[in-house]
Amino acid sequence: MGLSGGLDSSTAAALCSLALGGDRVLGLIMPERETYRPVDVEHARMVAEKFGIPVEEVDLTRILEAYWASLPVYEPRDRVSNGNLKARVRMTILYYYANRLNRLVCGTSDKSEAMVGYFTKWGDGAADIEPIMDLYKTQVRQLARHIGVPKEIVEKPPAPNLWPGQLAEEELGIRYEVLDLILYGLEHFMTPREVVREVNVPVELVEMVLRRWRASEHKRRMPPCVKLEYRTVGMDFRLPHLTETKGG
Amino acid sequence: MGINPTRIALAQFDARVGDVQGNLRRMEEYVERASGEGAQLVIFPELSLTGYMCRDLYYELAERVPGPTTHRMVDLAKRHNIYVIYGLVERSGASASVLYNTAVLVGPEGYVGKYRKMHLPTHSVFEEKRYFRPGYDAPVYETEAGRIGMMICYDIFFPEVARLLRLRGANLLVCISASPGVRRLFFEAFTLARALENNAYLAYVNLVGIEDGLQFWGGSRLISPTGRVIVQAKYDEEDFVVGEVDYSKADRAGIFIPTLRDVRPELYDMLGEEAFYL
Repeated sequence: MGLSGGLDSSTAAALCSLALGGDRVLGLIMPERETYRPVDVEHARMVAEKFGIPVEEVDLTRILEAYWASLPVYEPRDRVSNGNLKARVRMTILYYYANRLNRLVCGTSDKSEAMVGYFTKWGDGAADIEPIMDLYKTQVRQLARHIGVPKEIVEKPPAPNLWPGQLAEEELGIRYEVLDLILYGLEHFMTPREVVREVNVPVELVEMVLRRWRASEHKRRMPPCVKLEYRTVGMDFRLPHLTETKGG
Repeated sequence: MGINPTRIALAQFDARVGDVQGNLRRMEEYVERASGEGAQLVIFPELSLTGYMCRDLYYELAERVPGPTTHRMVDLAKRHNIYVIYGLVERSGASASVLYNTAVLVGPEGYVGKYRKMHLPTHSVFEEKRYFRPGYDAPVYETEAGRIGMMICYDIFFPEVARLLRLRGANLLVCISASPGVRRLFFEAFTLARALENNAYLAYVNLVGIEDGLQFWGGSRLISPTGRVIVQAKYDEEDFVVGEVDYSKADRAGIFIPTLRDVRPELYDMLGEEAFYL
């Protein structure tokens, strides 16, 4: 799993360690020059050490430079494209390690991000398992405290750090304490008006969250396909997730 | 009873999922157009108000019937002196968690009636039993555009519904539908069969467009009691067609093929018993 030194990856790593034993987890720290902050790497190493997880560091800088030099449409000022590229490069590295070492990639998405689509499609959104994806950010914080993730990590402002200075709450325009309550209401089939009443926030904020939630469904699914035949992948094959195949 | 001949418009349109206001606006245009072309009745597809693949959104799109959009459609019907049948998600009076897949009939006299889909497909890509409660009745409504009985989509796979409507006096069977392309063969056979075996006119109006990978095939058609396709809309595209029916012809066709006279009531008892113990 990737270790960014942030709350989500630290909590997920701690859970993996508690579940499997730290020695069966490998943490990859993948900094790159533009967004490098020494404190993040320190935090990642701090968590790894506390939970007995070996780490390896893979610097992405030269990889990104190779991409930039090779892409005819590369545009240094396009923050979103370049930010997403970093997330996707990290994904390729995680999966390379997974292939080489015969392991699963553990994702670190939380429910708040997953619901509003605040992740990179096929970037940090790609994983084999997602242990904390059903917990809102504020719940992840509580869990983190409970299982012993270091305080500094629990309390630092969430930052995807895909470009320098990127802060989640600034970019989303809302604090997680508020976002999570709105999402919780929507999860429970509350109407926007009911959420406004219960959470005591402007209706525009609720509508913004609702829009982002609805508009990001494509990130949570297999790509759409047109149904032409009897049973269609991603639509109506309804197989269980088997761990062993029987029969045959 | 019905003016003879009666002109019926089939408004085969591409509903946008979740966009009630947008769909309503476009339905209003079609109602005007139908009226302009001298139609006494205009029919829209299943769930035309909301789109079909709404899934969890059904709860927030549902409304009472009669309710807000019914009132709007009634205004239209009165203004244009026309009957309108359309589909929407109905909310029960008892609870917001109880929903029906409903067809509404309005006309110049106001709200006329509704039909709640009885057979809810829950197989392949369909999950209607997850969201909707089934209906329990198939009423027939006496109007100036005919004695109208309604059914919805999968209902047509079950001859009982059309038969019940016919036995209750329907001379126009209306089937509104949101049928994806893989089912075209079934519907083309069933629409003919239900018209023929019941000696009634049958109007079939299907959605077009693609929702969540499902393409609706259109092919709306108006069928005579003798199995003639009076008018048929295009496949796969939005279309608007108007056909004429003459209810007195249905009586004459019935003399030629008297299925209604020859119905065997005791078979229905036997069917009832067998169906319980499958």
